[in-house]
Amino acid sequence: MDSALMSRGVKRCPTWQFILWLCLFGGVLLWGVYAILLIWLKGLNQTNMNDNYGFALWIWADLGVIALGGGAFFTGFLKYVVGKDDLKNIINYAVIIGFICYSSALLILAIDVGQPLRSWFIFWHANVHSMLTEVAFCLSCYFAVLTIEFIPLILENRQIDKVPFFHNLSHNMHKVMAVFAATGAFLSFFHQGSLGGTPSVLFGRPFSYREGLLIWPWTFFLFTWSAAAYGPCFTLFVTRITEKVTKKKLVKQNTIDLLAKISGWMIATYIIAKIIDTWYWATVTAPSKGFAFMDFYSNNPLYGIWILVLEIVVCGIVPAIILLTPKGRNNSVALFIAVTLGCIGVLLNRWVMVLQVVAMPVMTFDKWVMYIPSWQEVATTILPVAYGIIVLMITYRYLPIFPQEQELNPNP
Amino acid sequence: MKIGRRSFLSFIIGGAAGTALSPLAWKSMDDSSIWSQNWPWTPVPADGEVSHVNSVCTLCPGGCGITVRKVDDRAVKIEGMKGHPVNDGGVCILGLSALQLLYGPTRVKAPLKRVGERGEEKWQEISWSEAVAEVAAKLGDLRSKGKSHTVCSILDSDKGTVPYLFGRLLTVYGSPNFIRTPSIQDSYELAINLMHGVQASAGFDVEHADFVLSFGSGLIDGWGSPVRMFKANSNWKDSGSKVVQIEPRLSNTAAKSDKWIPINPGTEVALAMGLAHVIIKESLYDSDFVNNYSSGFDKFKQLVLDKYNPDNVAQITGVDSSALVSLARNFAHASKPLAVCGRGQGKTQGSLDEFIAVHALNALVGNINSEGGVWAVPDPDYIKWPEVEMDSVAAVGMQKERIDGAGSETYPYARYLLNRFSGVVNSEEESPVNALFVAGANPLYTISDSKAVKEAFSKIPFVVSFSSYMDETAKNADLILPNHVFLERYEDVPMPVGLQKHVIGLSRPVVKPQFNTKHVGDVIILIAKALGGRIADAFPWDNYEACLEETLGDKWESIVENGFWSDPDFKVPASEEAFNTPSGKFEFIPANLKSPLDFSPVTIEGSDISYPLILVPYDSMRLANGFIGNPPFITKTVEDTVLKGKDVFVEINPKTAEEIGLIEGRYVDIRTPRGKAKVRVHLFDGIMPGIVALPRGLGHTAYDKYIAGKGINFNELIGPVEDPVSGFDAAWGIRARLTKV
Amino acid sequence: MKKEVKNEKAKKYGMVIDLDKCTGCGACMVACMSENNVPFKEDESNKLDSIAWMRVYKLTNGKPFPEADICYLPRPCMHCEGHNGHAPCVSVCPATATDYNHETGIVSQIYTRCFGCRYCMVACPYHARYFNWWDPVWPEGMEKYLNPDVSPRMRGVVEKCSFCFHRYQTAMNKAYVEGRRKLEEDEYQTSCAQACPADAITFGDLNDPAHAVHQIAKPDLKHGGRSSNPNAFRLLERLGTNPKVYYLSSREWVRRAGDNYLKKDKTVKKLH
Ligand SMILES: Nc1nc2c(c(=O)[nH]1)N[C@H]1C(S)=C(S)[C@@H](COP(=O)(O)OP(=O)(O)OC[C@H]3O[C@@H](n4cnc5c(=O)[nH]c(N)nc54)[C@H](O)[C@@H]3O)O[C@H]1N2
Ligand SMILES: Nc1nc2c(c(=O)[nH]1)N[C@H]1C(S)=C(S)[C@@H](COP(=O)(O)OP(=O)(O)OC[C@H]3O[C@@H](n4cnc5c(=O)[nH]c(N)nc54)[C@H](O)[C@@H]3O)O[C@H]1N2
Ligand code: SF4
Ligand code: SF4
Ligand code: SF4
Ligand code: SF4
Ligand code: SF4
Ligand SMILES: [Mo]
Repeated sequence: MDSALMSRGVKRCPTWQFILWLCLFGGVLLWGVYAILLIWLKGLNQTNMNDNYGFALWIWADLGVIALGGGAFFTGFLKYVVGKDDLKNIINYAVIIGFICYSSALLILAIDVGQPLRSWFIFWHANVHSMLTEVAFCLSCYFAVLTIEFIPLILENRQIDKVPFFHNLSHNMHKVMAVFAATGAFLSFFHQGSLGGTPSVLFGRPFSYREGLLIWPWTFFLFTWSAAAYGPCFTLFVTRITEKVTKKKLVKQNTIDLLAKISGWMIATYIIAKIIDTWYWATVTAPSKGFAFMDFYSNNPLYGIWILVLEIVVCGIVPAIILLTPKGRNNSVALFIAVTLGCIGVLLNRWVMVLQVVAMPVMTFDKWVMYIPSWQEVATTILPVAYGIIVLMITYRYLPIFPQEQELNPNP
Repeated sequence: MKIGRRSFLSFIIGGAAGTALSPLAWKSMDDSSIWSQNWPWTPVPADGEVSHVNSVCTLCPGGCGITVRKVDDRAVKIEGMKGHPVNDGGVCILGLSALQLLYGPTRVKAPLKRVGERGEEKWQEISWSEAVAEVAAKLGDLRSKGKSHTVCSILDSDKGTVPYLFGRLLTVYGSPNFIRTPSIQDSYELAINLMHGVQASAGFDVEHADFVLSFGSGLIDGWGSPVRMFKANSNWKDSGSKVVQIEPRLSNTAAKSDKWIPINPGTEVALAMGLAHVIIKESLYDSDFVNNYSSGFDKFKQLVLDKYNPDNVAQITGVDSSALVSLARNFAHASKPLAVCGRGQGKTQGSLDEFIAVHALNALVGNINSEGGVWAVPDPDYIKWPEVEMDSVAAVGMQKERIDGAGSETYPYARYLLNRFSGVVNSEEESPVNALFVAGANPLYTISDSKAVKEAFSKIPFVVSFSSYMDETAKNADLILPNHVFLERYEDVPMPVGLQKHVIGLSRPVVKPQFNTKHVGDVIILIAKALGGRIADAFPWDNYEACLEETLGDKWESIVENGFWSDPDFKVPASEEAFNTPSGKFEFIPANLKSPLDFSPVTIEGSDISYPLILVPYDSMRLANGFIGNPPFITKTVEDTVLKGKDVFVEINPKTAEEIGLIEGRYVDIRTPRGKAKVRVHLFDGIMPGIVALPRGLGHTAYDKYIAGKGINFNELIGPVEDPVSGFDAAWGIRARLTKV
Repeated sequence: MKKEVKNEKAKKYGMVIDLDKCTGCGACMVACMSENNVPFKEDESNKLDSIAWMRVYKLTNGKPFPEADICYLPRPCMHCEGHNGHAPCVSVCPATATDYNHETGIVSQIYTRCFGCRYCMVACPYHARYFNWWDPVWPEGMEKYLNPDVSPRMRGVVEKCSFCFHRYQTAMNKAYVEGRRKLEEDEYQTSCAQACPADAITFGDLNDPAHAVHQIAKPDLKHGGRSSNPNAFRLLERLGTNPKVYYLSSREWVRRAGDNYLKKDKTVKKLH
């Protein structure tokens, strides 16, 4: 019955199967919603955050999903601004993934603040010196752009498209999409950057503090760079998983190869910059504040030097090498390992830039403080995953996301 | 319908503008944020007229002047009173928290009569007249049976009009059993009594001392009048005076001192004698004082030289003999040296030998009744009521021996021996006490060997508590006649502890009584009147306030005006007239003492085989450990290495911990000959190996949820050790064992 | 009148805490709590969610018995000036809910504007900021002691030491009524300084040579306010937070505990 909503000429799983999965992820989603209600009604005492961990799991999740969602702006940038037209075959998916990531980020922020009803004070009483103000402005604007990019896709649904108004609207929107994509890319450069600035302007926190250029610390650029580098990894990662689940090839190898190659170059250059940044920080910035490099990685049960090796070598240099070699890109296992490592790498980077920053003692008589999130925090962090999967399930089922799907999967 | 580029853009812009212009979204956003700023469950304190009232804090014997800030009829803040002779503007953590006691949930709100079992907390509210009638009936009944002497009162003080009213009632009723809670006051008073031949409290001219030698006294941990001691300590820093702290644990006092000398616990007396040895041997003593105003010096000298040479003392105390010698020289060479004793906050009496030895040290350097020294300060004698006229019952009752044995053949020197109380009661089939009044005291919590005290209380047929709060004693009483708290009542507060001048403070009603409580003085007067006859005659006042005003006489005006009265002319007599001993001189070895002193350290309870460690208490300003349960504000300041959740930590040296295989935070059972408890360990480098230290002031079982159930009460783990001469509780610790759980 | 105010040199309120005198008694903590309506819970032993604008830290020298030593260090908000008022916390607050007052040097906190993002807490290296994880609840009757000059905070916002700013306002109002523009040193004192039984806390205008804080701290304005008193130091001075709370200690290990140093570094006092 719901086949009337699907695009013509594509095959989707039976309705009962679809609903079964929907219920499964819907259950997870509801669990998260329950946790959200608890938090809104009873307050943030429902979490294991505390005065040392003012930023914790959620802020990491925010930074993480925004970095992973970077595939949207960077692919858009490559397609509409640079003119890599091949990417049109994956851009829809990139936009949807981006939309999911950004809407999740906003939702998490609304749970994370102590007084969500006053969140708009950030606009009303804006402090131009604050990186978070910059984040808030760019993030909301970019989310609006993503929504605008998402709408024409929805309008392409077979039934909606039948309505002449929506058909024309969609047509018109497509025509101006380049403008939005360019705007989005510009906004993204800024908010990814200001997210990078968020920990690094903290001159009271030697672990995250970075010197920089004008008003921007180096991580401003590093965060944008890493989002552009690793975001496409996540797009490729999700595409690959979708292909596995649907047991279909959805995007042609040349498109995948192009995105992977660009990602590889971005990761390679990013990692070089990151190494230089780390070197300078370890040998110049930190000692000037009285810290030896190893102070950041010792006397605590978790944060050892392994974390830096994992981030730079295993999740940076290794995927860069795989993605830069044609053989690596063409081997589907190697490619999948590379994009997975890339995603882990950028998540790890965001983790240390949030959690290790606050875990580390600054006053000499302070101690490292460890933290384990409460189930409410975990539930609300998993919620976006379930939500994302549901959105992907629905959009994949009812919208013509992959232009090459029919061609690659001719109906029997 | 066809949409062109233009109409598309106008659609977008129009839609956006329409939404933005509609007031609904903006208004609800604004309203919701305003609502979040005025949540009805977040209180908004009412504004009003601000005023200030001067009064006196009675939460400890410190006697600080306070200024209470009021807004209309609410007391909102307690501050130290500027210009007060004790604390001049400073105030301690407990005094600052008093409003939480005044307004707190732990108040007893009306007279209560027990209806369930003891301690079951089933109460019935009764009227004041019923309450007074009940007490009077009970007392009348006992008296008619010739058992007036089996009535007993426990109070925190024996100075001032309220204790005097209690004493007067007991006397004219016919009971000698007025008991004051124990403290080092007892030991100091007795030492002075024996060595000076006068009844007086010890006053310390700490402000002028330039070398303070403290035998474990918590000079800045709440010893003496705490705020005054803090101020003195700061003055010592400014003036360069030296402080030497002798104790086995790095207390705050030790940490702030110029020199901390760890010592084997309980051996301070030997160290004092060792110092005397050096001072005498090297002729560093004040020969004017010793030759002209003392007696028994030769005997003392002989004893000291025979038994306490530095090597012997080093053996006993663990203090290096060369350190001992140089300490003795420094002490004697200082221009105004002062030696003090009484461990921690001075809440346990200690052995008489120790006080005599330390007082003798002061005498050797000639600082008795002199600037920077120890003064024998007699009570200000402003309470001049007419002698009571006893009837025959009273006369007979007053001839009976005291329950606690104080003043008897066996304990001729002691005035009060609360530490013996439970032993006496428990040793007899039928309780020798038939009625007990408790005011300003909480013996069920504060007296050592809590189990025995509780047993004793359970045997006493009639227990009346005058407590303002539902403390452990009140909870186990038959009748609670709640007193106003000090912020609601008049009361004279004479003689802040350790002060070397005469000061009388006046507590006054800062706010009107919050509940249906009554001044304990009024209740005593009402009971007396209800008993009638000579008893009623002894209380000619209409009420307590009238009594107080009459008692203070010409001081009343000025004390009301200033909040305190102090005697500018107060002086202690010169050495020629100071001593009222048989010899008329200061007596190194008191002639009045029938049994000889041997100045040897007190052996504590427990065998070192089954109990390899030694448990000592420690005191902290952040734990009110006597008078009152810790108010929530203070508990908030307690470190998480002292109390975590409901668990208390014992301090132990890392070396000792390693030997037993303990790590930081580990749960252990602590066992002593008197009790057992589950605690956690905190490794502390500032404590001598082999010792375990537990804070006092935790482990309440009464009061409210903010106070009760946190940690354990030290008194459950220790029992008294009787000083052979005085009968005081000389225990300074108890042997203990830790086992992992 | 405006001109007069302008001509007057800006004030810079600050504190000197003498660690040789501080006994660790905690009176300053409670003086602050009772003045500023700080709430309490049944269990306050988790220090990571226990609000104490003034917190007294216990420092140890790390040596074994009997060389062990301890020192207490009371920590209010440092009212960091940073560079030109850019305190670590002020510069990051997106909603301008905390601000540097250039007239007094006091870092404010507006509870009704704060929306609880906690960025400022992450920014403050002194843990001087506290979040209201719970609704504040006073047992019945206890709300009577609440001070009307300081509004109780609602759940979900950050709070911190204000140098008892309401006392400044009260004093200024009184002075204005009496036609004065300038406060005497003792007219504006913080609750903690006033209560400290050891007189370890001195409070006043660091810019006013007549004030005790100026005389003790001897701030060297050419070197970011660093003290020229050899026993004085500020916490984490090397981070550039430019705090207005100075500490005094005669003990080298205590002064060194005030900041981070590499093994080869000399304690700041000896650096120049
Ligand atoms: N805040 C507050 N202050 C108060 C009071 C209060 O309730 N609250 N109460 C007041 C009252 S009633 C009194 S009587 C005073 C008394 O005040 P303190 O004289 O101060 O009291 P203690 O309980 O005897 O002492 C415990 C201390 O002695 C040390 N100690 C334990 N064993 C030994 C030992 O063997 N040798 C040595 N050298 N040291 C040892 C411990 O390290 C610890 O520091 O305090 C008054 N001050
Ligand atoms: N754990 C422990 N035990 C100790 C000591 C110790 O430090 N720690 N110290 C010992 C020493 S030195 C002493 S002096 C004794 C003290 O022994 P107590 O005097 O028995 O102890 P407090 O707790 O001071 O008792 C005061 C009680 O009076 C009530 N109260 C408070 N204010 C008032 C008031 O204004 N009027 C009246 N009528 N009652 C009031 C309170 O409810 C409180 O329970 O304890 C001894 N035992
Ligand atoms: S020292 Fe004693 S009298 Fe003084 S304020 Fe503190 S509790 Fe009250
Ligand atoms: S009140 Fe004074 S002495 Fe007590 S902890 Fe605070 S600063 Fe130190
Ligand atoms: S101490 Fe912390 S809260 Fe206070 S001004 Fe400095 S950074 Fe801000
Ligand atoms: S928590 Fe409040 S004060 Fe702190 S940065 Fe966020 S809005 Fe500003
Ligand atoms: S200055 Fe005022 S607000 Fe700050 S810690 Fe002291 S009492 Fe509290
Ligand atoms: Mo006492």
